[in-house]
Amino acid sequence: MIFADCKPIEEIVKNLKGSKNVLLIGCATCVAECAVGGEREVEILAPLLRMALEKEGGPVQITTKTLEKQCEAEFVEELVELMPGVDAVVSLACGIGVQAVADRFQKVAVFPGVNTSALTIREEPGLWATRCEACGDCVLGETFGICPISRCAKSLMNGPCGGTRNDGKCEVNPDVDCAWTLIVDRAEARGALKSLMEVRKTKNWSNSRHGGTKRVLREDLRV
Amino acid sequence: MNGQAQTTAFEPDIVVLYCGHCIREDRSIISALESVKGFSARCSMVSCSSQIEVSHVLKLLEQGVDGVEVIACSEGACKSLVGSARAEKRVRYAQTLLGNIHMNAERLGISRKKTGITVEDIVGLATERADAVRALGPNHMKNGGKK
Amino acid sequence: MSVRVGSNLEKVLAAGQFAVTVEIGPPRGPDPAEVRKKAGFIRGIGDACNVTDNQTAVVRMSSIAAAKILLDEGIEPVMQMTCRDRNRIAMQSDLLGAWALGIRNCLCISGDHQKAGAGGKLKGHPGAKNVYDIDSIQLISVVKGLSENAVQEGGDTISQAAPFFIGAAWTPFGTPEKFRVMRLAKKIAAGANFIQTQAVYDVVHFAESMRKAREMGLTEKAAILAGVILPRSSGMLKYMKANVPGVDVPDAMIERMKSSKDPKAEGVKIAVELIQALKAIPGLRGVHLQAIEAEEALPEVAKAAGLFPRPSLG
Repeated sequence: MIFADCKPIEEIVKNLKGSKNVLLIGCATCVAECAVGGEREVEILAPLLRMALEKEGGPVQITTKTLEKQCEAEFVEELVELMPGVDAVVSLACGIGVQAVADRFQKVAVFPGVNTSALTIREEPGLWATRCEACGDCVLGETFGICPISRCAKSLMNGPCGGTRNDGKCEVNPDVDCAWTLIVDRAEARGALKSLMEVRKTKNWSNSRHGGTKRVLREDLRV
Repeated sequence: MNGQAQTTAFEPDIVVLYCGHCIREDRSIISALESVKGFSARCSMVSCSSQIEVSHVLKLLEQGVDGVEVIACSEGACKSLVGSARAEKRVRYAQTLLGNIHMNAERLGISRKKTGITVEDIVGLATERADAVRALGPNHMKNGGKK
Repeated sequence: MSVRVGSNLEKVLAAGQFAVTVEIGPPRGPDPAEVRKKAGFIRGIGDACNVTDNQTAVVRMSSIAAAKILLDEGIEPVMQMTCRDRNRIAMQSDLLGAWALGIRNCLCISGDHQKAGAGGKLKGHPGAKNVYDIDSIQLISVVKGLSENAVQEGGDTISQAAPFFIGAAWTPFGTPEKFRVMRLAKKIAAGANFIQTQAVYDVVHFAESMRKAREMGLTEKAAILAGVILPRSSGMLKYMKANVPGVDVPDAMIERMKSSKDPKAEGVKIAVELIQALKAIPGLRGVHLQAIEAEEALPEVAKAAGLFPRPSLG
């Protein structure tokens, strides 16, 4: 899912200085799955924010609402009745949701409460790890289902660098497996190590952000 | 000591959240807590301490409570296996969050107890929490949160 | 192998001589005098001298600039190019510029991630965006394209070929070890002419890796030079064994350094013994001699190992 990390609360408090009527909104999809922006997290952040703001200033009202999906207009519309009098919005959605709200309510300051940072899988309860870089040119069929672009710190395409630790972890982060060690092991288990001998040509990055911000129109879906 | 502190002496207001599985008997916890001196205490029982969410304890502090004491089952004694372990993780997390907004983490605490504690034990734990909190002064969120 | 580029290193190898390369790290500042000072230490010791490219992601004078200074000092440089900081456009542009300045040897490597630059006393730039547009093997093909076919990576031509003697690195003991000779084969297939290995302290283990390379025909296609890093203390060897991936140090060697009354002299002896043992490995075409922040100690090693003076070929 889209993964985000909590912003340091000092940063959010700083943005809200002087606000008297704050709307704190969560999203029940990706950020709820990674436990930073769902209803539970909204109900944790609301009292914290109020206590932090009232420590320095006067009383602050904090209203909370968690939308099913903050990137869908039909759900964002649910905020209309909550907006009158609101002088600041804090959204715990990913950057997409924050912008959907900011686009719909352009007269109010909308602040992000999380830092959207990765596309991850939940490996275990409480443990998320990057799996995709949205490179736009998927090579998973050639790398035995392990993505070297997102899982290798150097996005190497032809095998491991000289920095793989002796225990098979990445030199950049000792908690992370060297992606190429994983690929080599899986290739060998399938009796297909030879396929990794082919020199992979340079990647075409243009189907991702590197080619310019994407704006994709599907005529087949439009009437 | 005579000539003691004036009426402005701070009497902490404590909430005790306790797991019903810990306590041997329940007969008069409320009245026992109503009778304490030097602080005030109320309580709430949960059937497993894992029902206590981070937001619950933070909201109590937001409402102006001076301290919260959670009483949960000891390691291995939880009838939901990891319920009390979760409760402890949540309390520790809430303490970290309090620290992040420069509130004292000591306002919050958790005691893990074997099954069979008494009313006196509960009063004792509430008293310890009150003593810890007394030194911190009143929660700034009392009376509308003025400094 | 025949001479295609005309670099001194290439000629020494083509003449069947046991080659020696050395290495300097450019200064963390703009003063060319510091490069000249290091040049003074290693003058005459190697057939060519590597110039690192922002090694460990620490900002230093660029490899190309420092390489040009070496060239002006009469020393043949091996420029290094990592994949961390430049995309294919900048790389090709820099390569054309390097060639214009007279640089003829280029080592193509992945490069340390920028997290490495923030360590010890240094703040580095751990927040920098990394590039890694292409990897080291793809870079080798790109250099080959410019060198042999006067063609850019994207297909456009350049006005004339820019022939380089292309180098790559090999970490024979890196995990997963079974793949390391295969990766070496890929680098050579992509166009690498010479290879410099990670530091070797266990010659027996290295000889085994070289055997595999020979069996794959790799020693016929490229000149492999074994890395030798001068030991200065047992602490240094222990550190490398524990912290540098792919460096295998026999415990006996650490003990030997530890119990020596003069570790610096012992280190020189060890380096000389390593070089002599390495020379005996069939298919090994030279050594890549390094002394970390102690380049002034290299002449003694080279002389004691019988590697001095270097052949002078026209």
